[in-house]
Amino acid sequence: MKDSTSTALLPNGLQDLLFPEAEKEAGAIHQLMAVFKSFGYQRVKPPLVEFEESLLSGPGQALTRQTFRLMDPVSQRMMGVRADATPQISRIASSRLAAEERPIRFAYAADVLRVNGSQLRPERQFCQVGCELIGDDGERADAEIMLIALKALSDLGVKDITIDLTVPSLVEQVFESHNASADERETLTEAISRRDFDSIDMMASELNQTLVQLMACIGPVEVNLPTLKAITLPESAAESVVRLDTVCSELQAALSAFGLEDVSVTIDAVEHKGFEYHKGVSFTLFAKGLRGELGSGGRYESNGETAIGFTIYMDTVLRALPTRKDDAIDYVSGDNPWKDMRDKQSTGKMVVRKG
Amino acid sequence: MTTEKLILAVPKGRILDELLPLLDKCGIKPEDAFFDPKSRALRFATNHGNLDIIRVRAFDAATFTAFGAAHLGIAGSDVLDEFDYSELYAPVDLKIGHCRLSVAMRDEDAATDDPRQWSHIRVATKYPNLTRKHFAKRGVQVECIKLNGAMEIAPSLGLAKRIVDLVSTGGTLKANHLTEVETIMDISSRLIVNRTALKTMPDMMQGWIEAFRKAI
Repeated sequence: MKDSTSTALLPNGLQDLLFPEAEKEAGAIHQLMAVFKSFGYQRVKPPLVEFEESLLSGPGQALTRQTFRLMDPVSQRMMGVRADATPQISRIASSRLAAEERPIRFAYAADVLRVNGSQLRPERQFCQVGCELIGDDGERADAEIMLIALKALSDLGVKDITIDLTVPSLVEQVFESHNASADERETLTEAISRRDFDSIDMMASELNQTLVQLMACIGPVEVNLPTLKAITLPESAAESVVRLDTVCSELQAALSAFGLEDVSVTIDAVEHKGFEYHKGVSFTLFAKGLRGELGSGGRYESNGETAIGFTIYMDTVLRALPTRKDDAIDYVSGDNPWKDMRDKQSTGKMVVRKG
Repeated sequence: MTTEKLILAVPKGRILDELLPLLDKCGIKPEDAFFDPKSRALRFATNHGNLDIIRVRAFDAATFTAFGAAHLGIAGSDVLDEFDYSELYAPVDLKIGHCRLSVAMRDEDAATDDPRQWSHIRVATKYPNLTRKHFAKRGVQVECIKLNGAMEIAPSLGLAKRIVDLVSTGGTLKANHLTEVETIMDISSRLIVNRTALKTMPDMMQGWIEAFRKAI
């Protein structure tokens, strides 16, 4: 008795996915992949573990402290278990497929392992499904990636989806142009991440005033994008806003062409959570009433090339989907000829041998 | 589209009395049971069909809101800093519930001790994370003993020489022969909102945020 309870216990944040959940996940991944493929995104399968130098460079830097390490007894080098699939795709694009014509379109479904779960996602292992478009810096590329994520989720049956757009470098660009000190940046960044308007003293400086104006640009794109465009910003930040504006109209054109007008498009000018290494337009996907993010994505630097991609978190997606109906089951008695089993299966039912 | 019911989590106790006039100014009138101290109910309707109020412990108002069980809430900045929930925004300082988080010691200890020389200390507190963070900045290692109340008797009984606790008038400290040696932070109550709720129901949520902002 004692033994069986202790072997049933799994480490924190890890779980056995049972039926029908495991099948639900596999089915959902299959459906998502079909949508990705219809846009020309083809699946790759990187290994679970690789040398830490490649895993933790470029877009992987942000996850250094979230990565499990182990030593490779063969090469005697340190390896990391992937905490995110994007750095692996980046590596594939810049090494094995360096000679391939750009842009390249990748799709993947990969379980990742993290040292710590987050407050909302205590799971340390979860499945990421996504696309990466490498070597295309156009506004249409941004819109294409967003469209695919939204169409795939919507086709899967996720309701009331919101896509929240931002340019994570905007705040940084404003800091830069005002020559803000490191201390000032730290205090202000903390206040911004809590949207704590009242802690930013408006009287203190022009910088603070600009930040408060930016912070107020949160919500539906129709109202808030014009407000954002009206703010006087330093040149680099103003360029970011122009880019955001172009991407928004491109996205809306794409959504209406694909019959996805019910997706709400919002902006949040100061969102930077999880986008530390992003350059350009980024986005987060939410669904009404669903705890946490469905997925996120955006533009980043992939070993010297421009890239944009998104990741969908399967655990959140599964919570958004209705429970599957049980499969119809038929039985055949153990002494019936095998042919009976085959005939019954042809109706599409699950046929179980009994006795 | 379905109109969802929003839930506002308010803390029991001290802050609630200061909060009631604010709610009134926002045009939120809870049902009568809310004001009845004998009522065992935890969830109350309001004059707004799509807004309910839940009454929970001060620390829990932040937890309910962070996990999306409540959409809006009222929490002290002490609670926000202690838990540092990534899914909470605190857009409005309600300017109520003012107090400070302080380090206190017995009067006779405070007179002889030099805080600048501390390297390893033991502290009784309800705020282990904030305490650790505060002292880590000064390179002081802290062993925290988590208590849920009555911190003030810990020093005299030898549980820990120092406490970190909320101070508003200083009356409780004085009554227990304690001296405030250092202020960690000033505190006031904030309107908090759940990140996902704000992003997926921007109009409704912004409406309430504006209502609270105007009511101050």
